Amino acid sequence: MLCQNCSKRAATVHLTEVVSNMKKEIHLCEECAQAKGVAIKTHIQGLEIPEFFGQLAQSHGQTASGANAEAQVRCDSCGLTFEAFRNSGKFGCPDCVASFKKGLVGLVERIHGGTQHRGKVPNRATERIAKQKELMELREELKRAVAEEAYERAAQLRDTVHKLESKLGYHTDGADE
Amino acid sequence: MIELSHLQVLSGEWLSGGGAEADVVVSSRARLARNVAGFPFLTRASEEKRAAVEELVRASIKDSSLRTRVNYHDLAAMEHVERQFLVERHLISRDHAFAQGPRGVAFAPDERISIMVNEEDHLRIQSLRAGLELREAFELANEIDDALEERIDYAYSSQFGYLTACPTNLGTGMRVSVMLHLPALVITREIEKVFQAVNKINLAVRGLYGEGTQASGDFYQISNQVTLGKTEVEIVDNLVSVIPQIVKYERKVRQTLLQAKRVVLEDKIWRALGVLRFARTITSEETLELLSLVRLGVHLTVIEGISTSTINELLVLSQPAHLQKVESAKLSSHERDVVRARYIRERLSKDMGPVG
Repeated sequence: MLCQNCSKRAATVHLTEVVSNMKKEIHLCEECAQAKGVAIKTHIQGLEIPEFFGQLAQSHGQTASGANAEAQVRCDSCGLTFEAFRNSGKFGCPDCVASFKKGLVGLVERIHGGTQHRGKVPNRATERIAKQKELMELREELKRAVAEEAYERAAQLRDTVHKLESKLGYHTDGADE
Repeated sequence: MIELSHLQVLSGEWLSGGGAEADVVVSSRARLARNVAGFPFLTRASEEKRAAVEELVRASIKDSSLRTRVNYHDLAAMEHVERQFLVERHLISRDHAFAQGPRGVAFAPDERISIMVNEEDHLRIQSLRAGLELREAFELANEIDDALEERIDYAYSSQFGYLTACPTNLGTGMRVSVMLHLPALVITREIEKVFQAVNKINLAVRGLYGEGTQASGDFYQISNQVTLGKTEVEIVDNLVSVIPQIVKYERKVRQTLLQAKRVVLEDKIWRALGVLRFARTITSEETLELLSLVRLGVHLTVIEGISTSTINELLVLSQPAHLQKVESAKLSSHERDVVRARYIRERLSKDMGPVG
């Protein structure tokens, strides 16, 4: 569709206007829309959120250099920088929240008023979290057994720990230790 | 090409005009955002990764022990008009319809459930019900989520809950909304007060087709904004608790209008019905506006002989993609207006008997 103003460029801005109770659709190209100073609903939708996030993160009250260093933090898994996340308002992958945790907590609090999930927990996660807790407890017990020189018990515990670690996928590359 | 023609006649359960508070509450919706662990979100996913996610989720839906049968549709292989058709049905979002790359949707024949694959998140599980049935909608979406979780390892963190592409969905990943028909509050401009009150308690107001759309024909969606820090039940209860107040307010203003300006209001309603019954060409915007008035007339018993489900059916079936499916032809905008007017006349005559 061509711009209804210049009829030269493709129309990328689509407006619905209500004039004397009649709805009217207007299709313009970027340039014409800007020249006309149109407050563009759809565009605001696209821009508003990232800018909003940007402002939120900036108003975090950090020193310029501190903010700068934080902006350069990069997610190891997907390569997204905190700055790029702030500008787009979108994470790159599930690991971004851990990578950006420092800068993210304030932002999440401003959006949601809270920073700790209290809702549903996936069953698999429940199982995994329980297993991880069990593993930590077993390792402590193993340490104690070694300290007490109860070697037979320590050997049993070591095997149990090893099995549990395998279950949790800690030995996937074949390296046993 | 995917056969969607059966949908033209079969209307979704949410169009039935049933459910609680149906004179004001059109429908209730719950949606859960989920992502597959180990895959990047769509903005940073290569074509291969997207295809892998789509394949994995598609297979999981097929293998899962869903109580309701769902059919999967490949959106990338679907024609533009058919995707538009699904948007008009509220089975997919506009963004999902007109995005690029591997993506799809699974939905149940009664349209109470739809599972969007590779929308903004890898999965968007949605449940739609007629009337104020938000708890039921949530429970159904939650049940689907449980069944899919047996097959899919979701991205999840104990602090931030379900991990989503946008931080506004973190935590529960849940958005619940109700669609309200508020003509009396709009006519009297009392609606502004509702918006202000609703915003104060962290709820958002949106248009007929969700995020980024304008409200039209006096239909508004009210939804939660906060998704993290509260439980699913708290979020549902918060929304459910305010709706009866808005419903009561709308009903009160309807009665006030009827008492104070009966003739003026009745005239508006009958004229709206008159245009719908006799027009030879009509746009979708005008249709929406007039159907809103007729819907009001039906619930004030000014008009008799038309059911709410007929109005809901007209609201959906008079839209561009539906008309083109009915006619099995690509229609220009003028041709659509002619077909739309004819379809509306015929449908109303079926309920009310022929005119002149």
